[in-house]
Amino acid sequence: MIKPSRKILAWLIPVLCLIFVGSAVFKALAPEKGFHFKEFAALPVVSNGRVQPLDSLARNALLAIVGKQRVPGEDAPESPAAWLAELAFRPEIADDRKIFLIHHDEILGLTGLTRGEEKTYSYAQIQSSFQALQPEARRIGTKEPQTRTPYEKALMRLTRNLGIYNQLKHALGHPGLMEAEKEFEGFLANPAASSAATRGLQAWASFTESYAVPSGKGDDGWRKLPESVIDSIETGGLHPATTAYARLGDAFRADDTAAFNKALATYQTWLSGNRGEQQGKGTSEAVFNRVAPFYICMVLYVVAFLCAIVSWLWQGTVFRQAAFRTLLLGFFLHTVGLIIRMLLEGRPPVTNLYSSAVFIGWGAIVLAIAIEFFYRNAIGTAVASVVGFATLLIAHHLSLSGDTLEMMRAVLDTNFWLATHVVVITLGYSANFLAGTIAIVFLFRRLFGTIPKDTVNSLRGMVYGVLCFATLASFVGTVLGGIWADQSWGRFWGWDPKENGALLIVIWNAMILHARWGGMVKERGMMVMAVFGNIVTSWSWFGTNMLGIGLHSYGFTDAAFVWLSGFVISQLLIMALGFVPRKQAPAIPA
Amino acid sequence: MLTLLRKIGRFLSSLRLTVTLLGFAMVLIFVATLSQVHLGIHEVQLLFFRSWIAWWDVVPGGKKFSLPMPGGTLLGVLLIINLLAAHSARFKLRWSKAGMLVIHSGILIMLLGEILTGLLGKEAQMPIDEGETANYSVFPREIELAVTSLDGTGTETVTAIPQGRLKDGAEFAMDGYTLKIHSYYRNSDIVPDEKATGEFERTRATEGVGKHYAVKSKSRETKMDRRDLSAAFVEIIPDGSKPLGRWLLSNALKGEETFAVGSQAWKMSIRQRRLYHPFSIRLLDFSHDRYLGTNVPKNFSSKVRIINQETGEDREDLIYMNHPLRYAGLTFYQSGFDNNDTTSIFQVVRNPVWTLPYVSCAMVGFGLLWVFSQHLIKAVSRRNKVTAP
Repeated sequence: MIKPSRKILAWLIPVLCLIFVGSAVFKALAPEKGFHFKEFAALPVVSNGRVQPLDSLARNALLAIVGKQRVPGEDAPESPAAWLAELAFRPEIADDRKIFLIHHDEILGLTGLTRGEEKTYSYAQIQSSFQALQPEARRIGTKEPQTRTPYEKALMRLTRNLGIYNQLKHALGHPGLMEAEKEFEGFLANPAASSAATRGLQAWASFTESYAVPSGKGDDGWRKLPESVIDSIETGGLHPATTAYARLGDAFRADDTAAFNKALATYQTWLSGNRGEQQGKGTSEAVFNRVAPFYICMVLYVVAFLCAIVSWLWQGTVFRQAAFRTLLLGFFLHTVGLIIRMLLEGRPPVTNLYSSAVFIGWGAIVLAIAIEFFYRNAIGTAVASVVGFATLLIAHHLSLSGDTLEMMRAVLDTNFWLATHVVVITLGYSANFLAGTIAIVFLFRRLFGTIPKDTVNSLRGMVYGVLCFATLASFVGTVLGGIWADQSWGRFWGWDPKENGALLIVIWNAMILHARWGGMVKERGMMVMAVFGNIVTSWSWFGTNMLGIGLHSYGFTDAAFVWLSGFVISQLLIMALGFVPRKQAPAIPA
Repeated sequence: MLTLLRKIGRFLSSLRLTVTLLGFAMVLIFVATLSQVHLGIHEVQLLFFRSWIAWWDVVPGGKKFSLPMPGGTLLGVLLIINLLAAHSARFKLRWSKAGMLVIHSGILIMLLGEILTGLLGKEAQMPIDEGETANYSVFPREIELAVTSLDGTGTETVTAIPQGRLKDGAEFAMDGYTLKIHSYYRNSDIVPDEKATGEFERTRATEGVGKHYAVKSKSRETKMDRRDLSAAFVEIIPDGSKPLGRWLLSNALKGEETFAVGSQAWKMSIRQRRLYHPFSIRLLDFSHDRYLGTNVPKNFSSKVRIINQETGEDREDLIYMNHPLRYAGLTFYQSGFDNNDTTSIFQVVRNPVWTLPYVSCAMVGFGLLWVFSQHLIKAVSRRNKVTAP
C-alpha cells in the first residue's frame, strides 16, 4: 500500500499540469481591452478554397514567412490577427517590419541589399527590386522542383512569401485607401465617374485571393472586398461586410478603439443572423488556433516522460502514477484537438501529411496506454510520451508549409476510404513506431547493465504484441488501399511508390514474426529488427513522397530529406548497439 | 536418395526460406521504387515485378553496372511453393491452426489474383469530346498500323498490323499490293524539315503530309503522363509494278494518308491500338468544379449515354471520382480531362478477377485477428496466473 502522503504526491504533478492547461485555455478565451482582436480574428473569409477565420489566414501567412506564429521585434503586434489588421489597414507600418529572411548572397546581390547584422529584411526594403526577382522566378518556375539548387529554392520561397504577404495586404484594404467608408459611398453615389474607379477596384481585386464578403448564396457565395464594392452599384447599397471592413479600417487608422469594436459587433450580429454556420466555424477555428492544444500536449508529454524516467530511479510507484496521469491528461487534450479538427473539416482524422503525424502519435499513445495498463512499469508511459512528442514536433514542422485544414482534391474526396484505408494504415505506422521505440528502450537498457528477467519478459511481450497489431493494421490498411485504387483508378495494385512503401512495412512485419516463430532470432534479434521497422515505416511515410513521382506524391517533400536521413542513421546506430557484446546475465534461480 | 528428397522437402517448407524470400522481396521492391524515378512505372513493372530475373542498373541510365536479383515472378512462385510445402508438411486439422490456414489461403488468393490480373486484365482509355460518341477504347501505350479499304457503300474494312510486327524491312502482302516498312521508330522526334539537324535521318517521305518532316529515333518515354510517338516510313508496292511512293506515318500526325491501287481506295495511319466494343458511349456533359479562388479540383463528373444496339439498351449514367460505371464486363473510371474541359478521358478496365482482393483481404484480416487474439488471451491468462496469490 502507498502511504497517503505519497498518494498526494502522485496527484501533485498531474494537478499542476491541469492548472497549466486551465490557465492556457482561460488566457485564450479571456476578453481583451483595447481593440477586440480576438473577435476580429474570428471573422470568416474564404481563402484557399475554404471558409476560415482571419486568424488562420494570418497565422498560416506568418508560419510561411517567418516560420512562427508571431511577428519578431519588440513593438510587434501581439497576435497574428493584430498583425493582419496592421497589414490591411496601416500597411505603411507593416511594410517596415523585418520579417523576410534572406540568407543567400546571390539573392542579396539581385535585390541590391547589403548584408546587415540580421538576415531579415522588410517588405519596403525588397519592394524596389521586384523587377529583378521576377524574371529569375519565372525561369526557375519552369524547372522541376527536384532539380533546383539551394539558391533557386530560396528565391522561390522568397517570391512565394512576398506573394502571400502582398495578397493578404489587399484582402481587407488597400494601401491607397485612407477613408474607406467615405470613398466606397462616394463610388456608389456617383456612377457617372465610376468607370475609372471600377478599373481601379478590379485591379485591386486581382491582387488578392481572399474572399472577404459573404454575398450571394451557397458555398461559393463569396466576393472579394473590391468586387463587392463594384457589385454595390447593381444592388444599390454596400454589403454589410463591406461597410464593416471599411469602418474597421477607418477606425484602426484613427486609433479609435470604440469605433473599431462597434463596427466589429455590428458585423458579428449581421453574421449570426445571416451566416450563422460559417460564423460559428470561424469562431471555433480561431479559438482552436489560440488554445493550440497540441502545443500544450507536447509540454505534458515532456513532463510525463521525465516522471517515468524518475520512477525507474526513485519512488517508483509514486512517479509512475504521476507520469501515467499526466500522460492521460495530454492524451485527453490530444483527442479533443483531433475531434475539433475533424468537426472543422467534416472529415475523418487523417487528410494530409500534417494530420497523419498528429494521428500517428495519438494511435501510438492509445496502444501504449493499453500496455501500461497491462504491465504497470512506466515503460508504456515513457515510450508513449516520446512518440507523442516526436510526432507532434514533426506535425509542427509540417504546418510551416501551409494551411493544415486544406480542402481535399477530388480523388481523395471520399470520407469512407479516408476513414478506413487511411486511418487503418496510419494506425499501422503508429504501432510500428511504438514497437521500434520500445525496442530502443530495450537496447539502451541492455547497454547499461543486465536487465532483470521480468523486465526482459515484459519488453519482449510488449514488442511482440505491438508488432502483431502492426501486422494486422498494416496489412488490412494496405489491402484496403488497393481496393480503393480499384474503385477509383481501375486497378488493385500499381506498384506506385507509396503502395510499395506500405507493402514493405507488411513484409517486414511478416519477416519479424516468421523469424521469431522459426527461432531464427531471440529477444535481442527481434528488438534490432523492430528498430529497423522504424526506418521502413519512415520510408513509407516520408521517403516515398520525396521521389516526386507516382500518384501519391501529394505530400510535403523538401527539407524533410535531411531529417529523414538523420533519422535513418540514428536508427542504424541504435541497431548496432544490439551487437555490442555483453556479459552473460547471471542465471536467476527459479 | 530418400534423405536428399527429405532434405529438399524440409528446405522448401522451412521458415528460413520464407524469411529469406521475404527479405529478397523487400530488396526488390525498394530497388524497383528507386528505379521508377528514371525508368517510369511501366518499365519497372516489366523489368522487376513481372520477370524471373531482374537486372538493376546501379548507376541509373548508364547500363554500366547491373546487378541481377530474383524478379517478382520467381519470388512469387517460390513463396507459393514454400507456403504450400509448409502447410502440407505441418498440416493438422485443429482449431488452433485454423487461423494460420485462413491467413495463408488468403495470401495465396491474393498472389494468384495478381498473377491472373497480369494475364487476363486489360487496361485502355476512352477519350470522348462533349457531344461525341465512341465505340472503341485505345491502348495509350501501344500503337498499330491500320489500313482501311473503302468500298462504294461506305463500309470500311480495317486491317490492323500490331506493334510487335513493325520492323525495319518487314513486308506485308495486302490485297493487290505489298506494304513495306522502310524504317520504324518506337519513339521519335518529328520536326519540320527546316528545323532538322544532323542527328535526324536523311530519309524523307515522297507522298502525303509527312513530306516535309524529318524523323529521329528517341529513347522510350518514362513519364506516366506521356506517350511514345512512334513513326514509320512506309512504301506501297502494287503487285508487279513500281512503288507508289513512300509515306511517313505517325501517331503524332493527325489524320490518315490515302492512296489507290487500281480502282480501290485505301487509307492508312499509325494510331493507338484500338479495342472495339459492341456498344457505344456518348458524352453528354463533362463538368470540372474547382474550389473557389483555387485550381484545386473539387469534382470531376461525366454525364454519359450508353447505347447498345444489340440489346436495345439506351440509358444515361453519371461517372465521377470513386464512382465508376461497370458495364459489359468492363469498368469505366473518370481518369482525366483535356481540351479545356471539353474532353473527358475514361480509364477502361477489364479485370475478371477483380473480386479476389476483396475475398483475400477479408480472409487475412479475419485470420490475423483470430490468431492474435488467441495470443492475447494466452498472455493475459498467463499473467493472471503469475499475479494471483
